[in-house]
Amino acid sequence: MATESGGSEFVDTFPDEAAIIKASFLIAFVSLGIGAFFGLIQALHRTNVLRVIDSADYYTLLTGHGVLLAIVFTIFFLCGVFHWAVARSLDRPAESALFSWAWVGLMTTGTVLATVAILGGLVPNLGMSADVLFTFYAPLQAHPIFYIGLAMFIVGTWLAGADWFLSYRAWRQDHPDERIPLQTFMVLTTMIMWYISTLGVAVSVVFFLIPWSLGLIESVNPLLTRTLFWYFGHPIVYFWLMPAYLLWYTVLPKLAGGRLFSDPLARVVFLLFLLLSTPVGIHHQYLDPGIAEGFKFIAMTNTMFLLLPSLLTAFTVVASVEHGARQRGGEGYLRWLGALPWRDPAFTGMALAGAMFAAGGFSGMINAGMNINYLIHNTLWVPGHFHLTVGTAVALTMMAGSYWLVPQVTGTKLYSRPIGLLQVIMWFVGMVFMSNAMHRAGLAGIPRRTAEPQYQNFEFLTPIGSIFELRVQIALGGTLLFLSVVLFLFNILLTSLGEESDRPVDSYLPEPLSGPEGSPRILDNLAMWTGIAAVLVVLAYTLPLAGIIQNGGGLFGGGLPVPATVSAGFDLVLTTVTSAFNTLWGVVA
Amino acid sequence: MKLTKARALILIAFSVPVAIELRTVAGFFNVELPLIAVAVIEFLFLALLFVLYGLYGEGSESAA
Repeated sequence: MATESGGSEFVDTFPDEAAIIKASFLIAFVSLGIGAFFGLIQALHRTNVLRVIDSADYYTLLTGHGVLLAIVFTIFFLCGVFHWAVARSLDRPAESALFSWAWVGLMTTGTVLATVAILGGLVPNLGMSADVLFTFYAPLQAHPIFYIGLAMFIVGTWLAGADWFLSYRAWRQDHPDERIPLQTFMVLTTMIMWYISTLGVAVSVVFFLIPWSLGLIESVNPLLTRTLFWYFGHPIVYFWLMPAYLLWYTVLPKLAGGRLFSDPLARVVFLLFLLLSTPVGIHHQYLDPGIAEGFKFIAMTNTMFLLLPSLLTAFTVVASVEHGARQRGGEGYLRWLGALPWRDPAFTGMALAGAMFAAGGFSGMINAGMNINYLIHNTLWVPGHFHLTVGTAVALTMMAGSYWLVPQVTGTKLYSRPIGLLQVIMWFVGMVFMSNAMHRAGLAGIPRRTAEPQYQNFEFLTPIGSIFELRVQIALGGTLLFLSVVLFLFNILLTSLGEESDRPVDSYLPEPLSGPEGSPRILDNLAMWTGIAAVLVVLAYTLPLAGIIQNGGGLFGGGLPVPATVSAGFDLVLTTVTSAFNTLWGVVA
Repeated sequence: MKLTKARALILIAFSVPVAIELRTVAGFFNVELPLIAVAVIEFLFLALLFVLYGLYGEGSESAA
């Protein structure tokens, strides 16, 4: 891992990059504030504690909450983090500041368009709405501006990735024999995964949803758009998570007072995510009738393999943090935990986020298991799960990381460390209340995605406690989470308005204990890993997609015929694969 | 080890999930713990932490 260049601050060394990062963070934090406010209204409305909106408007706010937090906040923030990581680890600015501003501008324009379409749902006379939720597949239909905005946003992320690949290419020309610096390696593998996975949503939006919303085609094949969404919808989880991992691997050990335990292990983890993130999306569709059970079983198996990089991460990060604690004088089997810098909100927030991610991983295994998934499918358990993963492992890590990163790009000291500490702990406690109650409510069968979770002549029962207690827990948790966001934004705002300092934060990142020197160079062969990832995707998705198109009324649904050339192509693929399978089976038997 | 404000806050934070799931764990053994019992246990824990902070926390004579 390259260390800080020349001992000067990031904002002084890379002023153009700092400006890009500040712009990305600004849009991320504005989205965070609005999305969190919508979340508070939803939590109070659903639990019947306070109702300030009609239930019909709940879905508008739910869509706004999902899109602004899960897409805009996370991705704008990670773009800022990646821009920082590439510049500092390659020790060079971006090739063109204008190009960098172009992707920021495109993503911002896309965000504004999508948000206007969503909020238009609150103004009935406007004739514009996008109450399609974060999972924006058919049959729910949004205003075309929503899809166009999302398409622009996705293209903006592609350009951002191109920006970082251009930096890498220029660096490689100057350093032909060096290993890729770890942070840049993490950014590049994440972006390759993102390019592969966003192809699905791009096809869905450009070829089906935009023409459908514009009235150019009469119908779409709903299962096809669902499958293309989830082709992208699961890897996006890792697109959120991998910047959090980047911070856990490269920043958290330093904050703990130590060094990363193993650089090669970190590379292996990111490669495993590149390979395994995409061919698993069908595990979100266990209850979809149009996909054969065998494909769902394969998706489940692939998903369980994804536990491996997460468990490797748990080992490496905890080992690195323990090393840091022992450098600070920590001793004993567990007493070293007390030697960690718990006063530092950046460290404490990331550590708490990691602890909650472990709980999210356990509930994720329930989601991923085909049979046990039937128990909790489409219940409140699922939002309980992803509020632990994206809502805490990612969001809390991003907020905690901001306490260390924002001073680097503004040149000002953090306004208040105690407020930061209170904020991250308040998030942890709030999420414990809310997520725990959501999981338990899901086990009781309470559905998700509804403003009115109660049914007539039917009462949900919990084995322990009562539904009333769960409702209070969700409302209390949601309120604490919103207050935590207010504290965060207040702290960051005052930090950015503070006086410039010569040394706003200790930004030095030490070398790992075990560097990349002894690891195989094949780990850095990005072209080969990209090829393998693409093959895995083709193997996982070709037959399910062929079946969905052939059995689901064609490419555009509604009984419209599949074009003859496309149909012939599918027949050829099916015949070839069946023949190959029969031949292989004959050899094995 | 000195009980700092930050360490006390962390202990309080981790006591919340333990308290919330206490009834579930008790339920595994057919013990029906009422909500008020959990509230009392959590309150006692916080009181104990408060006393310990007074005795061994930052600024106390023992800590000095």
